[in-house]
Amino acid sequence: MTARKSETKMITVTIDGKSCQAELGETILQIARANGIYIPTMCYLTKVEPIASCRMCVVNVEGVDGLILSCQEKATDGAVITTNNEEIFKQRQNIMKLYDVNHPLECGVCDKSGECDLQNKTMEFDVDQQSFTAREQSRPVENWGFISYDPALCIMCEKCVHVCNEVIGDEALAISVGGYNSTIINTKQDQDCSQCGECMAVCPVGALVSTDFKYSSNAWELEKIPASCSHCSAACQMYYEVKEGSIDNPQPKIYRATNNYEFSSLCGAGRFGFDFENREASRDPDAFSRALDAFRKAETISFSGTISNEEALILQKFKEKSGVKLICDEVRGYQRFAEAFSSVTGTTLYHGDLKKLSQSKGVVVLGTRINDDAPMVKYHLTMASKRHRARIAYMHPLEDAAIQNIITQFMKYEVGSEEGVAALLAKTLLEGKAVPDEIRAYLDDLDIGNLSAESNIGEEELDKLKKSLWKKSGFTLVAGADLYGHPQAENIARLLGLIEHYSEFDVMLIPPATNALGVSLICDLDDSATGYTVGYNTTGDYVLSALGDGDLDMPALNQQEGTFSSVDKRVVPTHVALPYHGYVLNDILNALGFKERYTIGYTGKLPREKGFSSVVFDALPDYYDITGEEHRGYLLKSTAVEKDGRLEAVAALPAYDGAVLYQCNEGAQFSAFTHKTEQLKSDSRLKGSAQFATVAKLKEGDSVKFVLQGVAYQRVFTIDTSLKGTVAINPTFDRGLSSASVSYYRFSQPKLEKMDSKDE
Amino acid sequence: MSAVLFSTWKDEFIDNRGKASEEWNESAFKLPEEYTADRRSKAFIGWDGVAIFQEDIDAVRLATEYAAQYQVYSEACGRCAPGRWGGRILYDLLDKIARGEGSQADVDHLKEVSETMMLTSKCEIGRTVPKPILDLMEHYKEQFDKAIDLQIPSKHYHKEINYIAKVTAPCTDVCPAHVDIPAYIEGVRDMDFSDSLAATRQTMPLAHTCGRVCPHPCEDACRRINLDEPISIMELKRLGADYETDHHLPWQHPEPPKALRNDGKKVAIIGAGPAGLTAAYYLALEGIKVDIFEELPVLGGEVAVGVPEYRMPVDKYNKDIELVTSMDAVDVYTNHRVDAERLQEIDAEYDATLLAFGTRLSKKVRAENERPDMDGYWGAIDMLDKVNLWTKYAIGSPASNELKDKVVVCVGGGFTSMDVVRCSIREGAKKVIMIYRRDEKTIIRNTTYEEYHEAVEEGVEFIFHSAVEKIYDENNQLKKLLVNKFELVPDPNGGRAQLVKIEDGDFEIECDYLIPAVSQAADLQLIPEAWNIEMTSWGTLLTNGRDYMTSRPGLFAAGDCEYGPMTIVNAVGQAKRAASVISRYIYSGNITLTDDEIMEDHLSKLKVYDKKEKITGWMPGIPRVVSEKLEVNERKDNNAEVNLGFTGEEALAEAERCMRCYYISMVAV
Repeated sequence: MTARKSETKMITVTIDGKSCQAELGETILQIARANGIYIPTMCYLTKVEPIASCRMCVVNVEGVDGLILSCQEKATDGAVITTNNEEIFKQRQNIMKLYDVNHPLECGVCDKSGECDLQNKTMEFDVDQQSFTAREQSRPVENWGFISYDPALCIMCEKCVHVCNEVIGDEALAISVGGYNSTIINTKQDQDCSQCGECMAVCPVGALVSTDFKYSSNAWELEKIPASCSHCSAACQMYYEVKEGSIDNPQPKIYRATNNYEFSSLCGAGRFGFDFENREASRDPDAFSRALDAFRKAETISFSGTISNEEALILQKFKEKSGVKLICDEVRGYQRFAEAFSSVTGTTLYHGDLKKLSQSKGVVVLGTRINDDAPMVKYHLTMASKRHRARIAYMHPLEDAAIQNIITQFMKYEVGSEEGVAALLAKTLLEGKAVPDEIRAYLDDLDIGNLSAESNIGEEELDKLKKSLWKKSGFTLVAGADLYGHPQAENIARLLGLIEHYSEFDVMLIPPATNALGVSLICDLDDSATGYTVGYNTTGDYVLSALGDGDLDMPALNQQEGTFSSVDKRVVPTHVALPYHGYVLNDILNALGFKERYTIGYTGKLPREKGFSSVVFDALPDYYDITGEEHRGYLLKSTAVEKDGRLEAVAALPAYDGAVLYQCNEGAQFSAFTHKTEQLKSDSRLKGSAQFATVAKLKEGDSVKFVLQGVAYQRVFTIDTSLKGTVAINPTFDRGLSSASVSYYRFSQPKLEKMDSKDE
Repeated sequence: MSAVLFSTWKDEFIDNRGKASEEWNESAFKLPEEYTADRRSKAFIGWDGVAIFQEDIDAVRLATEYAAQYQVYSEACGRCAPGRWGGRILYDLLDKIARGEGSQADVDHLKEVSETMMLTSKCEIGRTVPKPILDLMEHYKEQFDKAIDLQIPSKHYHKEINYIAKVTAPCTDVCPAHVDIPAYIEGVRDMDFSDSLAATRQTMPLAHTCGRVCPHPCEDACRRINLDEPISIMELKRLGADYETDHHLPWQHPEPPKALRNDGKKVAIIGAGPAGLTAAYYLALEGIKVDIFEELPVLGGEVAVGVPEYRMPVDKYNKDIELVTSMDAVDVYTNHRVDAERLQEIDAEYDATLLAFGTRLSKKVRAENERPDMDGYWGAIDMLDKVNLWTKYAIGSPASNELKDKVVVCVGGGFTSMDVVRCSIREGAKKVIMIYRRDEKTIIRNTTYEEYHEAVEEGVEFIFHSAVEKIYDENNQLKKLLVNKFELVPDPNGGRAQLVKIEDGDFEIECDYLIPAVSQAADLQLIPEAWNIEMTSWGTLLTNGRDYMTSRPGLFAAGDCEYGPMTIVNAVGQAKRAASVISRYIYSGNITLTDDEIMEDHLSKLKVYDKKEKITGWMPGIPRVVSEKLEVNERKDNNAEVNLGFTGEEALAEAERCMRCYYISMVAV
């Protein structure tokens, strides 16, 4: 193809007398901001394309007549720009006068008051009276579930619509155009709006607010505690906003969760599922000594992946000292998978990351119901789709209607056939690439016809996939939790390793729990528990629980400080949002002979050979700079490992005929911790298609019981018309401490027992 | 050119008030003095000023109504702060004055709001609406003052006057299909690709097709030319269509199709090319039953069997076609040749018939011994039929059977001839020569720079300033050509340069094939002689170019068979209009145009694009984005699509260059 100019050309522009270097293609506003020069805006949102509705950011460019819109217009080399003068000020002031026409004067009760862009700019531009009027209109407040919309307060900046469309991908919000009567509408209130709350996060005024938070506090009374969300491995930047409770109950509480919406996003779980703290804890010395006893006699410590790096290190050190076995069911499969992957790629970490994903031209998603498993990864897919027209192949046994607007090819494979699918992918994506002879021979020997027939991935589908990768580079393969528990997980990992190593694809292995990546790097995990077992946020003979239902209370992750290792391979800090009065893991280990005053004393001691850095907790940065560059914690370093991985023949594909259950937490539910929160809806029904109902001999509303990996479930069955085929979705978030053990293959065929009404 | 009482249109200032009519200065512009043949206009007001045709005018009301029409327009907008609130305030203040309740402070506020709108609005419409209002406030000040000072309504405030408005843009105006280009570009900019597609499909159902093979006259009327380079308008059209296709989304209609009326009314369309498909689509959207009769085994007309796969992949075109055939109201009959007898039957059976059969006869090159039955003489239409039916539909046999390792000469200079030579390369011809009477510059003007440049890259030899004089054959097998050479001799009087034959310049070309691609003619055998249909001097069906009815009531014609061989977008535009006229004709028996269509024609006459206008408020020097193309070695032996289209970021960058040059104009009748 014709050579493209890929090198970036540098230009020099002068803004308010300051000489600024920039890349050709940057907008005037971007350059100004990068150089610390202020230009006022009302509708600009860094993480989306310029919206250009407010017109406040106009500037003068020497030699160009008229006012230039700095948010959208790209600077040209040598441009001399003035960001403010009397004329510009006057026009901006006039725009503010227009914005203020008929804006309700209810700041006293408005949630946004104190952090409202309209308030701020009205003051900044000295608009102290309304000199012209327009006919008043009456528009009622709308309730969109977690979100309330007041059109009378809306200034139609369109940030909400852009973020919903460009970043989230719900395409729920739209502009109902009507000039002065224009308003924002939620076109998918009941169906596909995922209730992420990003729209209200970006709203510069009080038009979009949290239904729960509304009228509960003034913004300036809340203390913002910087944190990282603990619900999944994205570990997104967020703030817990905290203040003392009422006179009756002075306990501080989290009023809401917010985020640095200018540069990053947060899903509904993070935004609305913030109140999972362990409120009950107190210090009971007797209970504590029983805990010490339990640790002394433990042969095994079992824990969940919802744990900080520091606590994982404490447990690892305890293992090194005492020889105890460490079990982390959620992570062990992932750890083995990642190691097998590395044995082919030769590096500890996968190469993909969220930023590269969002700029990809072609993406393959394999083995994850991405919209539910990893919302933040889905948002980055949205960005790739919308901004880069990425061709996105979604490979899964279950279709997902919620992402139809993002994906370009759905490739449905048979349950259980993931290894065959990975082999077919490797064969397809490595076609024509330089690979060692033995690997070429392996690929050539694959029985494609058989693999295609068994997995149901046709050769024409693979051809279509290959053709759709119309660019030469910029590809990402996203792999998820369905693969980590597969009986052939390690060979699947090696096959994906081939793709990463020998093709232009970068691979991302989505960690299946909040800190699965950290635990997999820090802990030397064992395969199975023996003897007396202490469980930490999981089951055991003696249980430490942040849910408040164990033998000893532990702080929840909004009551702890420490770090997580995110899907983005970044070690990110989180802070204490709410006080906790009980014991922490570190207390137990200190009582058993360790000497580290605070848990975060371990931050600087995380294993360097695994890619951690020795930066101490208090030195970790935690911000985005004005250009949107992330400075949270640090990036893990990938280190070299031996490339000794040997591919195995693809095993005979197991058949999953009949009714199949898929373990998957939908929507904003991730775990027992999201389940515990007040606002998040907990729909724990078993959901299947009409076809599943027929095969499983169930009908709408039937109660059914079954046992999965030793955990007994009792579910009400419901038919979900968006599903097809014989796989039903079974959530696990409501199983308390048992929720956290999904190291097994997510598809299974338990015996489904229909319950008579008298059993219930 | 137009008799006006008063005009501030563009930079002119004409004030004939108080002058005897023989002393009147004329306006230099084709202003709509007569709205229709039987309705005089009182005034015309628009983006570039105001023209008043009658003494008895209420300027305050005129300004108020113009602001009101902007409000009506902004029912479809409201996308920027100055436009959204400013427009409302303009109207409220003007109406206050017109009611007799205004004050001089309101006049000051009007000026202040106008200035902000003119300097900062997102679209040209917001930037230009205040101009004629300010003109009226200045030059008809006494009327404003009177209403304010006496606190009385303006003189026609309560009178019944018709105000008819129309929104347009320079690009939309010159587009034969009048596509709402700024709207579909805004859809791309907003990454709301469904919106983009819906905007295109308001007047253009063939979004994939006209996102690829349109000669884009719009890009010659893009105001961005006045600043740096035109927007890549055509290619941005693909984004919406690709989004729908790539994500397997339901059809995005501009509005929900109306239910099939089942009232016994039905329309026949002869030919399933761009014109036939377009008319069918818009009639079907209205719920009117349509039957399409197509002679070929495949749908799509010349775009299917004429335009090659590497320019217009058939799977994409088929999507455009499916959009039409998926409509409940549309039935299609292929392999259905309509002759004169059949046409008479159809004419009797259907309430209206639209002829849209194109021009499918290759014209001769007018050389000595030119006999179409000679082996080696192959009309362009037949040759391209063969190539395309095989490569796209596997019908027939590959043209490489004929062309491989052969020497092919094409005589032409337009798009069809380019298709002939580039297909010949792809079919394995040893040598391909294009003979053209005029020069390189002209061939580029007649086609596109890319088309010519890519043909040269692929190895086509162009011989300019030449024409075939004689064809030699042996036993009816074409062997060689005698070619005359010409030179361009400038006219000493400054007129058009003349082509003059160079004596002794003749030369011969030995070749296997001569493919004439000079032009095409309509095959008129299907028109019953008894109907005595009026024809154009160039042998196509005559209509008035506004309602597309032929001289026979109920018989309409659109596309190439009406205009002569022209563009897809021309066929679409004509057919869209014809469908609109037919949709009323089959019920009323009358030929009528809507106000929107009447205004559309007025504005086309007036001309919306002004290449001399100075652009303000935009950064100059932002280059047009060029999409990636296949390299010559990647394309010349196959039919892969040459133009890979924009990446997402390229499309966004290009869409952000669009200045949204919407304008609103209004006639008072």
